[in-house]
Amino acid sequence: MDVVMPQLGETVKEGTVTAWHKKVGERVEQGELLFEVSTDKVDTEIPAPASGIVSALLVPVGQTVRVGTALAVIDEPGKPRVPAGATARPPATEAEAKPPPGSGRAEPAQAQESGGEPGTGRPGHREGDSLLSPVVRKLIAEHHLDPAAIAGTGAAGRITRGDVLAHLDKLKAAQPPADRRRAPLSRIRKRTAEQMAHSWKHVPHVLQAVEVDFQAVEQARAARTAAWKAREGWSLTYLPFIAHAVCAALGDFPVLNGTFEGDSVLLNPRINLCIAVDLGEEGLVAPVVKDAHRKSLAELSRAIHALIEKARARQLAPDDMTEGTYTLSNSGSFGTLLTAPIINPPQVAILSIDGVVRKPVAVEGPGGETVAIRPIGVLAQSFDHRALDGAYSAAFLRRLKLILEKQDWSTVLDDAAAGGSAPPPA
Amino acid sequence: MAQLTYREAVAAGIAQEMERDERVVFLGEDVADAGGVFKATVGLLERFGPKRVRNTPISEQAIVGAAMGAAMTGLRPIAEIMFSDFLAVCWDMIANEIAKARYMSAGQIALPLVIRTANGAGSRFGAQHSQSVENWAMSVPGLKVVAPSTAADAKGLLAAAVRDPDPVIFFEHKALYASKGEVPDGELVDRLGTAKVLREGSDVTLVALAAMVPRALEAAQRLEQEERISATVIDLRSLVPLDTRTLQAETAKTGRLYTVEENPRLCGWGAEIASIAAEEWFYELDGPIIRITTPHVPLPAADALEDNILPTVQRIVETVRRTAG
Amino acid sequence: MTTRTNAATFGAAGPNDDIDRPTRLSLYRSLLEVRLLEKRAYDLFLQNLVKGTSHLSLGQEAVASGFAVAMRPDDYTYCTYRGHAHTLARGAPMVGVLGELLGRKCGLMGGKGGSMHLTSVPHGAMGSYAIVGAHLPVAAGAAWSAQYRGTDQVAVCFFGDGTTNIGAFHEALNLAAVWKLPVIFVCENNLYMEYTPIRSVTAVERPAADRAQAYGLEPIEIDGNDADVVYRAARESIARARAGHGPSLIEAKTYRTSGHSRADPAKYRPPGELDEWLERDPISLYRKRLLELGFDEPSLRSIESAVQRAVDEATEAAKASPPSPLEVIERDVWVDGGSSWRN
Repeated sequence: MDVVMPQLGETVKEGTVTAWHKKVGERVEQGELLFEVSTDKVDTEIPAPASGIVSALLVPVGQTVRVGTALAVIDEPGKPRVPAGATARPPATEAEAKPPPGSGRAEPAQAQESGGEPGTGRPGHREGDSLLSPVVRKLIAEHHLDPAAIAGTGAAGRITRGDVLAHLDKLKAAQPPADRRRAPLSRIRKRTAEQMAHSWKHVPHVLQAVEVDFQAVEQARAARTAAWKAREGWSLTYLPFIAHAVCAALGDFPVLNGTFEGDSVLLNPRINLCIAVDLGEEGLVAPVVKDAHRKSLAELSRAIHALIEKARARQLAPDDMTEGTYTLSNSGSFGTLLTAPIINPPQVAILSIDGVVRKPVAVEGPGGETVAIRPIGVLAQSFDHRALDGAYSAAFLRRLKLILEKQDWSTVLDDAAAGGSAPPPA
Repeated sequence: MAQLTYREAVAAGIAQEMERDERVVFLGEDVADAGGVFKATVGLLERFGPKRVRNTPISEQAIVGAAMGAAMTGLRPIAEIMFSDFLAVCWDMIANEIAKARYMSAGQIALPLVIRTANGAGSRFGAQHSQSVENWAMSVPGLKVVAPSTAADAKGLLAAAVRDPDPVIFFEHKALYASKGEVPDGELVDRLGTAKVLREGSDVTLVALAAMVPRALEAAQRLEQEERISATVIDLRSLVPLDTRTLQAETAKTGRLYTVEENPRLCGWGAEIASIAAEEWFYELDGPIIRITTPHVPLPAADALEDNILPTVQRIVETVRRTAG
Repeated sequence: MTTRTNAATFGAAGPNDDIDRPTRLSLYRSLLEVRLLEKRAYDLFLQNLVKGTSHLSLGQEAVASGFAVAMRPDDYTYCTYRGHAHTLARGAPMVGVLGELLGRKCGLMGGKGGSMHLTSVPHGAMGSYAIVGAHLPVAAGAAWSAQYRGTDQVAVCFFGDGTTNIGAFHEALNLAAVWKLPVIFVCENNLYMEYTPIRSVTAVERPAADRAQAYGLEPIEIDGNDADVVYRAARESIARARAGHGPSLIEAKTYRTSGHSRADPAKYRPPGELDEWLERDPISLYRKRLLELGFDEPSLRSIESAVQRAVDEATEAAKASPPSPLEVIERDVWVDGGSSWRN
């Protein structure tokens, strides 16, 4: 097996061999000290990744090489001998060892991931870029496996057919006994699973929450609810009020309505609100109300209702699913306290709406502070810390709370004019 | 059961068929009294007489042409071309006439003939007497192509070739003539177009032909002992018809296909198998298909050179070890 | 060894009553069938109904007819790509010959072989061969087969003057002589090897006759345009072969009045040569002789019109026949009817 320059730090790109503790021809045991390495963050002793005879030392003491470069070869008995350099990157000269400017891509942490043993990583292999043979690809596709979860025992850590089959055997052995039902994932569930995993892995989430007093909203809603129901056939909920307030608040906090593009955030003039809709066993969809900021509260209510109905009837069109800029996730009817929602990239934020509960709170009264019973609900925003920081998000939440608690909701509700009350975001 | 040499088995196969069918006749250079330059037809003249076992002049075109004329008019001739290199001398007869007569005549003409010839290197005869040219025959539509590796196969496949109603080019291997093997007593008739799995393994599949078969077997032994690589070895036996079913089944079991070919590199028989594998068995493959062949040069004469140019056991072992991971 | 020519053995260019009247009529009929069919093939080529190329025997009919009439139905004929005459003369149906030229289902080989490979095994026409000289050893092999089986069949092998210079000629002659095979090798010397005069590329004056002695055979040269002469030479050489006396090599002097192939207008002939030979046209020559021998004009005319009618009917039938279905493409490589090389 090849012994390679390990990655000793997220941003470390190269290392210098400072000492060899074994000579060519000597036997080494797995875990035994094999060599020492110096990097710009750390000086370390490195143990041998396997037992066997050291058949080659490829890099002399004092030479600096890139992470992943083959440093030595250990011949393990009974395993196919792979000549050094056949799969690992051959040692570069000092001049080459410095990475070219601008390429700045840190070696993936894969070397650390595979059991934390330096030297057993797969150098030069980017995420999702492994040497998978046709039969291995076929098996992975057929069984919906994650190659990253399969241990490779082939040359240079390649996943062989045998490895996949062994992995499947392991899964089968770990399978539930016959009395448990297997529930295959629906199409929507599978898609959600992919998206959630991707988002969770790539987006640094920060959760911030505010408690909101929905008294003002409730008063307006209660006053109009009967007439609304009679006219529209369905009841007004808090959701459109919150959506309307979010649009208003986003006007002053455009980054939260933005699209993350790696080295920039694209600021969107339109607010296209995604409304998360639960479809029961099938899963979750988040169709889009386009140009939510242009709609009056009444129009927004109707638009949200129509979209949810469409989703429940499984009649969403592709156009209903695109160009969302911000997402609302509503668990309110279940009475939950707080939810930390997962962002839908490339959006940079998502707001969770949880249960509104009548609670005693301190309020300012004419005679000073008293306790009142108010409808209190938590609004929690997850934001992408790459695009913005806590202060910005907190300020947005403060604004949102302000709008919800202080706006003259009755007037807003009665304002049937198109165009809504929110100015377009800057 | 008897222990026969490959050459004895050839003579026994011819004798078996000549005994059985009066229409079987045999012609070639030095095949009668001399029993053939490779002594593969010893005893036939004595047993069947000069009318049925005929010496010819050095006239390859006449030998093969006469076989064709006799075959199309009721006989079942076996024609010997002494060295397979000489097939080039009568290649018109083989490729343009024999291979095509039935097709061009829309089935009016039948040619139940066998051309047997001594193929292959190892005897220090030099470039013009050592070639393996079974791949030439494979590439011409209308010819069946057989190349046994053992005495039993030599007898059984030769009998099958004589009984086959179509033209068969039967490639015996010079270096195998002295090899010994168990040959069942009594009538022995094998089947053309059937490969044999000589050794079952789980890591790689080696496909070989004729003199490369014993080398592949020895290499498989060493791979097992030295490298713990478990190899299946297939003796292909016929190129046309080709036993693709066996090849596919054994390739699928290991996912790793290797061919061991005595032909020079370009257009050796393994190229076609590799092509079929890449096209039809792609999703069974766990690694690239590797052909182990003679390099694409004429064959040198000196023993040290000749010994190292063909795929040796060592080269087979090293190639598999290097690539099987 | 003396050279046997028509004068010495096969009779002067005259009647000699060793040939009976029915045979003479058969000869005349055969000559006409070949002539009229070949002319029709020529016309069809000009109409672009015959594709590829076609090698006509116009002017060389006497060799084909003379031998065919002398042969038994179970004798074997091997000829070259200029084989329409020989195949037809052995009795292959006209519609089959024309159909093959037109590439139709009714063709002798359903269009699989084409003009150069006419074959009709039931009539002993064992194939027309397009590689110069290739069929000589094959004919020797067929003769060997007859000898081996103890029948007294013979093989007659036709080829041109150019063939005498190719390797297979020598191998076949030698083998046939050594094994004393019942095969008659007939060289139709039409003076030209494709576009080149034969004498300019041959080491001897008479391309076949002057090679005979190299194989221990008697040199035989005959007038290939005289059907009677050809018939006699055929009769004698076949009888010798049947009696076990081995092969013969006969050089028949003739001339082709068209080019090497349909594609060749034959401008390489010296002026006057064609006219000379047209005077010796086998059919006009034979017709004249028949009249001299007392055959009457009406009976000759009735043969002529019968043959013409047969050619016309065959033409229409061939034209009406469709091409073979495409399935035939992958049929008949093997005796089992298929072409499979794998399982």
